[in-house]
Amino acid sequence: MLTRISGGEIVDPLNGRSGTGDLWIEDETIVEPPASRRPDATFDASGCIVMAGAIDIHSHIGGGNVNTARLLLPEHYAAHASRPAVTPLSSLGWTAFETGRLYARMGFTTVVEPAMSPGSALHTHLELADIPIIDKATLAILGNDDFLLSMIRDDASSSMIEDYVAWTVASTRALGVKVINAGAATAFKENVRTFSLDDVVPSYGVSSRRIVKTLQAAVAELGIPHPLHVHCNNLGAPGAAETAAATIAAAEGVPLHLAHLQFYGYGTEGSRKFSSAGARLAELVNATPEITIDIGQVMFGQTVTISSDVMRQFSARGGADPRKSVIIDGDGNGGGIVPYRYRKDFYGSVQWAVGLELFLLIDDPWRVFFTTDHPNGAPFTAYPRLFELLMRKEARREVAEGLPKRALSLTTLPAIEREYSFEEVAIMTRAAPAKLLGLADRGHLGAGALADIAVYRKQDDVARMFEAAALVFKNGELVVRDGEIEKYRWGRALRLNPSPDKAMVRRLEAYHQERYGLSLDWFTFPDWAIARENPFGEVPCRA
Amino acid sequence: MAVAWIGNREVPLARAAKKAAELLVSSRCPVFSLDTDVHGTRAALALAARVGASCDYVNGEAAAREAAVIAASGGMFILPGEARRRADMIVFVGEIPESHRAYVEELAISVPDLATGGKRGLFLIGADRGAPKRLGGREVTLLSCEGTDLAGTLAAVRALCAGRKVTAEVTNIDGFKGALAEAGFPVFLFGGGEADGLTLEMLQGLVSDINRRKRASTLHLPASEKAWGAALTSTWTTGFPLRTGFSRGYPEHDPWRWNAGRMLDAGEADLHLWLSATGGEAPPAAAGASLIAVAKTARPAVGADVTIAVGDPGLDHDAVSYSVRTGTLAAVAARSSSQLPAAAVLRAIIAHLPEGAEAPC
Ligand SMILES: [Zn+2]
Repeated sequence: MLTRISGGEIVDPLNGRSGTGDLWIEDETIVEPPASRRPDATFDASGCIVMAGAIDIHSHIGGGNVNTARLLLPEHYAAHASRPAVTPLSSLGWTAFETGRLYARMGFTTVVEPAMSPGSALHTHLELADIPIIDKATLAILGNDDFLLSMIRDDASSSMIEDYVAWTVASTRALGVKVINAGAATAFKENVRTFSLDDVVPSYGVSSRRIVKTLQAAVAELGIPHPLHVHCNNLGAPGAAETAAATIAAAEGVPLHLAHLQFYGYGTEGSRKFSSAGARLAELVNATPEITIDIGQVMFGQTVTISSDVMRQFSARGGADPRKSVIIDGDGNGGGIVPYRYRKDFYGSVQWAVGLELFLLIDDPWRVFFTTDHPNGAPFTAYPRLFELLMRKEARREVAEGLPKRALSLTTLPAIEREYSFEEVAIMTRAAPAKLLGLADRGHLGAGALADIAVYRKQDDVARMFEAAALVFKNGELVVRDGEIEKYRWGRALRLNPSPDKAMVRRLEAYHQERYGLSLDWFTFPDWAIARENPFGEVPCRA
Repeated sequence: MAVAWIGNREVPLARAAKKAAELLVSSRCPVFSLDTDVHGTRAALALAARVGASCDYVNGEAAAREAAVIAASGGMFILPGEARRRADMIVFVGEIPESHRAYVEELAISVPDLATGGKRGLFLIGADRGAPKRLGGREVTLLSCEGTDLAGTLAAVRALCAGRKVTAEVTNIDGFKGALAEAGFPVFLFGGGEADGLTLEMLQGLVSDINRRKRASTLHLPASEKAWGAALTSTWTTGFPLRTGFSRGYPEHDPWRWNAGRMLDAGEADLHLWLSATGGEAPPAAAGASLIAVAKTARPAVGADVTIAVGDPGLDHDAVSYSVRTGTLAAVAARSSSQLPAAAVLRAIIAHLPEGAEAPC
């Protein structure tokens, strides 16, 4: 099947292509324009922007904690079901099915669930497998687990630690590794209530910094394309910028990804001791080339925060709105579900501005990633409005007019004139994520790339443009037309598959037998458990 | 071996599936009750969405309560593996369900190896009758309060732990308070079997009180593993746990309205699809309602219009099920693959539905 998308404005930064032209697809793949063949189908893209399908590197779309949030908040979906499109909760993307539908209509074709607890990997993958249309991937969480902390405490060799990380990534079908408030979930179980980079986990004598450095080294050594994905300590706290700065400094030349940096961009200035440190953190990121970050932008309205940072969520539960929450002490990691409403008050406004400062003051779009930390800063359905804020300073000004002046005066946002170009948007949401995750087959429109393509009708209203793509192709198939789903299909979960070390598997078998009274089979799963054909797509590690 | 019947007449599977599809399509208000694994539940929800049915658990009261308390107030929970390794004090809230006996005895005789140093005290809050005094050879200290039920006893325990005065006396309360003060990580075990909604909320209140200064949590031992697995599956599929209906073309959660027993008793439902992978006695056919039995059985179910035999997940076919031992979903490989999974049967029924069948009620 040969398809031509004709006359669109092509934005393909990786291949340096921009300007009006045609794009050709043969079956699942983008191809060079054929010399003499006629297309089986032609789609007119005149007046449209043509980009690769977008990639979201950090969005909590499935797994135990996400599902617990649904159990906690049946009223969210109730709002959705009875009055589509009008309530603040109406587009939360609350079921697996809706998640795929709503992402696809915005032109997103690959989404990473960044917080999979290894012990419940099967549950996560079952949910992801029920998300239609798009491809998915997960990051496996390490860094609060007894097995790793014990190895670090006992000065295990780096190759033994690498074997464990490789086994975890392979057995959980992950695309990378995440560490969440390293050591804090374990410390919280021994009643520690705050935890910083140089604090030490009781019973192990291991600092948070040492856990991060150990995992960063193992990830690099194993050739895992995505750098260690770090959720720093002290999320949300006034003064958290210090922790983020210390973590940035701790990268020491080796790649490190900092998740939802907005939630750390807080200083302690002003009478409320809460101010923006966005400009300072942006400067640090600009000066530290081995660092990549995503934002975790806050948008105003109702949402629910879902995090494996159980210590932080426990301390935030007093602010739950509605007034209920779930706190989980898991095997190693934990979880906390706290519903929350971002208001246009002093704190909410500072948070909103900090995210935008980071977006606009970090110069290199290859190192800053477009996220709301769905649903923690806002549901992903707020993306179209966020694109508008980045591309239109006038749109920012309009929102800012409705916010407390005192709050904005503690930020640099009002003075920022920058507007993102389509080229920069395409880098930030397509080319850069593909590079960051090691997905060479997507994020661009060159011959040989997977035909994941988003076509947007160009218009002044940026939010409307990105809300409902004119056309979306996934693996060469037309899946969306004018924002409506044209065809449902099942994507894959992208994973690495490093071969596990046999001695490590034996060790883990003995450990699970002894400590949990269960064989290792209970903590792993075969592919048949997903009950779909080809549920996984393999991504190579770097040699 | 026969696998399908229309009435008492043995038929090929495809015939029975077709007949079941016809009954579902002509039903004004079909209701399903489910006792199956994750993939059986997924298939049942897909079928229910197509024909506008509502779904409940088989014997759904306990699971409905367990889900309701999370929606009402949330809570603090620990996973079983962490409880086994960390809890130096275990408190059973109410009687231990027989189905979890083996797991709980293991918990009683194992010792924590994380942080707290090697011992584990055992307590049980509840009525005196039938409570085990020993578990796995270890003594269990009983906290009970004469003249009141589990909720009342728990309320008294909470008040006494908070330093308030109560008129009723709770046995062994001083030992309990002392142990609580000593413990590094007490864990309270509960399920929705004996405990009612009020008890479960009271328990979360007690644990929340303790967490102001110290750590503690609760371990959820679902009254039925299959029901809780269905609750989780339904939640990511529809946004809600069960007792969810599709009569208006989209999922609506209503634990009262979509209670299968109530719907059949009240004559609201005109078709009952009973999906019981563990088998057992077929439910009595309700007056005016047809019955489709998809169950582990060697013979047609009594009173059923259609019966299709399926296997027990994890025994007769490979399955994914919730496990109290890990607190999550686990893949269970069957020793032999001897009988059809419910998911396959339900997909066969779906295949016989007319294209784009609208919800009939
Ligand atoms: Zn996150």
